[in-house]
Amino acid sequence: MNQPKQEPLVRFEQVTYKHYGKTAPALMDMNLTIQRGSFTLLVGPSGSGKSTLCMLLNGIIPQILGGKLTGTITVDGHDIAKTPVQELAQSAGMLFQDPEWMFATLKVEDEIAFGPENLRRDPKQIIESVEKTLDFVGLQRLRKNLVWALSGGQTQKLGLASVVAMEPPLIILDEPTANLDPATTHSVHQLILKLRDEGKAVLLVTKDLDEFMAEADDMILLAEGRVVAQGAPRDVVAQHGDKMLELGVWLPEPTEIGLRLKADGKFNKPVPITVEEAVDVFADVKFNESKPDEKLVADPEILIHAENVEFTYSNNFKALRGVSFDIKQGEIVAIVGQNGAGKSTLSKLLVGLLKPTAGEMTMFGRSAKRWKVQDLANQIALVFQNPEHQFLCDTVREELAYSLLAQGIDDADVVNKRVEEMLARLDITDTADSHPFSLSAGAKRRLGVATMLIGGSAKLLIVDEPTYGQDRRLTERLIQLINNLRSEGITVLMITHDMRLVDAHIDRAIVMANGEKIFDGSPNMLFQSPELVERASLRTTSLRRLVDGLRARGVSVPEGLNTVDDFIGAMQ
Amino acid sequence: MSEHSLRYIDNDSFFTRIDALSKLIWVILVILTTFQLTSNLSRVVMLAVVVFVMIILARVPLKTIWQAMPIILIMGTLLFFVHLFTAPSTQIINVLGFSVGKEGFDKGLQYFLRITIMVLASFILIWTTDIRDLMVGLVSIGMPYRYAFTVFMALRFLPVVQQEVDAVKAAHAIRGRASSSPIRHRIRLWQRYMFTVIVNGLRKAENTALAIESRGFGAFPDRTFVKEFHWTKTGIILLILFIVFAIWLIFWEKNLPIL
Repeated sequence: MNQPKQEPLVRFEQVTYKHYGKTAPALMDMNLTIQRGSFTLLVGPSGSGKSTLCMLLNGIIPQILGGKLTGTITVDGHDIAKTPVQELAQSAGMLFQDPEWMFATLKVEDEIAFGPENLRRDPKQIIESVEKTLDFVGLQRLRKNLVWALSGGQTQKLGLASVVAMEPPLIILDEPTANLDPATTHSVHQLILKLRDEGKAVLLVTKDLDEFMAEADDMILLAEGRVVAQGAPRDVVAQHGDKMLELGVWLPEPTEIGLRLKADGKFNKPVPITVEEAVDVFADVKFNESKPDEKLVADPEILIHAENVEFTYSNNFKALRGVSFDIKQGEIVAIVGQNGAGKSTLSKLLVGLLKPTAGEMTMFGRSAKRWKVQDLANQIALVFQNPEHQFLCDTVREELAYSLLAQGIDDADVVNKRVEEMLARLDITDTADSHPFSLSAGAKRRLGVATMLIGGSAKLLIVDEPTYGQDRRLTERLIQLINNLRSEGITVLMITHDMRLVDAHIDRAIVMANGEKIFDGSPNMLFQSPELVERASLRTTSLRRLVDGLRARGVSVPEGLNTVDDFIGAMQ
Repeated sequence: MSEHSLRYIDNDSFFTRIDALSKLIWVILVILTTFQLTSNLSRVVMLAVVVFVMIILARVPLKTIWQAMPIILIMGTLLFFVHLFTAPSTQIINVLGFSVGKEGFDKGLQYFLRITIMVLASFILIWTTDIRDLMVGLVSIGMPYRYAFTVFMALRFLPVVQQEVDAVKAAHAIRGRASSSPIRHRIRLWQRYMFTVIVNGLRKAENTALAIESRGFGAFPDRTFVKEFHWTKTGIILLILFIVFAIWLIFWEKNLPIL
């Protein structure tokens, strides 16, 4: 872009920031600039300071959340420490992870008008900008709807609209699609690109980089509160790719393949940042013949059998319409499908919190109607998306002991021994005496799993969105834990929107759409059917698009390459 | 698809179409009148009027009312029993086969009716009013918009707390019971509900506050409103009718024989 040199929109000069009450700084010696109209990706592992940086840009930090800031940050000519947050709102608009909490009114159109009204804009002008924004995000049809009656994707679009309507030159998006199904994520991504096309500067934090690597002007890599690199995504990946792998930053699969090959000295071309580039780069690669099929357990026991299960909520909403399936011992199964397809309802039925309103469900040989939640809890463990909801005690240690006591194990020695074992196994020993609420997101997740498994009698573990809010390294640890459990004979069922996880680590996918099961089979079969993928609001992984691209070029690629490891392993 | 009993119902009923301020004044009048009343019979009449408004004028679905029942009845029922057992009674009467003190029963019933009328009237306002209209209305009669908005925030957080309690309850149920004594277990669970609900509730409240400030709320002493406030004719007529009724009720009960 050949724009005339002008004062950057954002400038950080020697910025160090400590959160209120913390001794270690969250951000250190930070210098960076963001140009007007540029599209910047902010990446880094969990806890590297991404959200802190975002909140500095609109002055929430330090003005409302306190803490100690040194150095200066200017946004659109304003010093963020001195300009009131409400005034900064005209310079930087931020979309929060869970925009439901940012809504200040009850109706879609009122919500969009809320910000401009606060800025004392002329009502006529506001009405015009509401119209424009409704068109922009495609919510014109829903303008009179109540905000809580919107789906996840619509909620996110409304959040974006209410920021856009204030017309700030900078829009900050902190993981805007973390809770959305893959197809909706894609449509939000399209909106983000449209914003960029309209000349807004966009700062985006996301783990779904696939669609943005080639589009973004800039990438800022953070690690432990410092800027490791800033530059065009291609250059950052080329120069700091190894570091990014090591840090556990999410990268598109084709990029990861390139970087890993490079690290092993097997590759000396530029690292691809899009699927198309990767297809070009790998077009002359020879692959080994297909790898042996994984062995299947002979006739595993059926743990759960569901036949024509229906569930209708008391407001007559029919969440499940005649769903039938089996869950067998030792499988890793994923339930996937769009937001509101019936996945959470199904998981509540499985743990006995809800009972089928029609049809028959048998768990461990006994009808669902005859199971009490507390008894079923000894067989089926559910880890909630927000593990905090499940915590009952004041320390991690007590939390684990509680689960044992709940199963009638009260011999102090036995309890202590098992608690210590579990702490060590999940690598949370050093936080054993901390309050469960004070753990990091990853550790909370692991503690959630630990409290459910320590009893030792669980045969089925259900995890809701295992990769939510976790970087690649934390995810890998969780996957490893899940695989270990499987080798011990425990069945694992995941509810997820993460297509990489589905493709790489599960045996079977149950696909839900509008309360019905529309597919039940291996991920390979699922992703080979474009109609099915579309109907269930899913999306194939970039690895699969790479393989398809290579095949279209006549490269013979064996079946069953579901992970970056598989792909590299199959290369000659 | 969770259901929450304490939110605005967008059903375009007669009562929903009345302007927000008239409805607010109506609620205040109901509460003031109820405190003037001295007999349980007239309180029952008042309750009947409130129920009439709720079911006929506001067309609140029975299901919603049913779901909100525990919240509606809890305070009244508690107060009923407190007075039933603590009020000094000289006369023993038989109620549904139980022997109870007459004064205690009357006093208990008095509090039960008062609280229930007040709670129901307030709920009708919540069910039928887009709180934004209420805010615009309050600002139009001179209230600074920051204060008017706190009313909205308070009401907005009712469903949040409800949602949070539901989620925590479900999560706790599957943890099983770690104490042989059911009472100790209950106490522990309650402590935890409170803790988790408060921690998460505060966190959400903080997020909302942050989000709203970062959208320019409070940037200036005043703000513009796209929608203006208009008094509705039906609202004024309703208020006049209600005032006539309230005066009649107060005089009517003065002439009642002492029960």
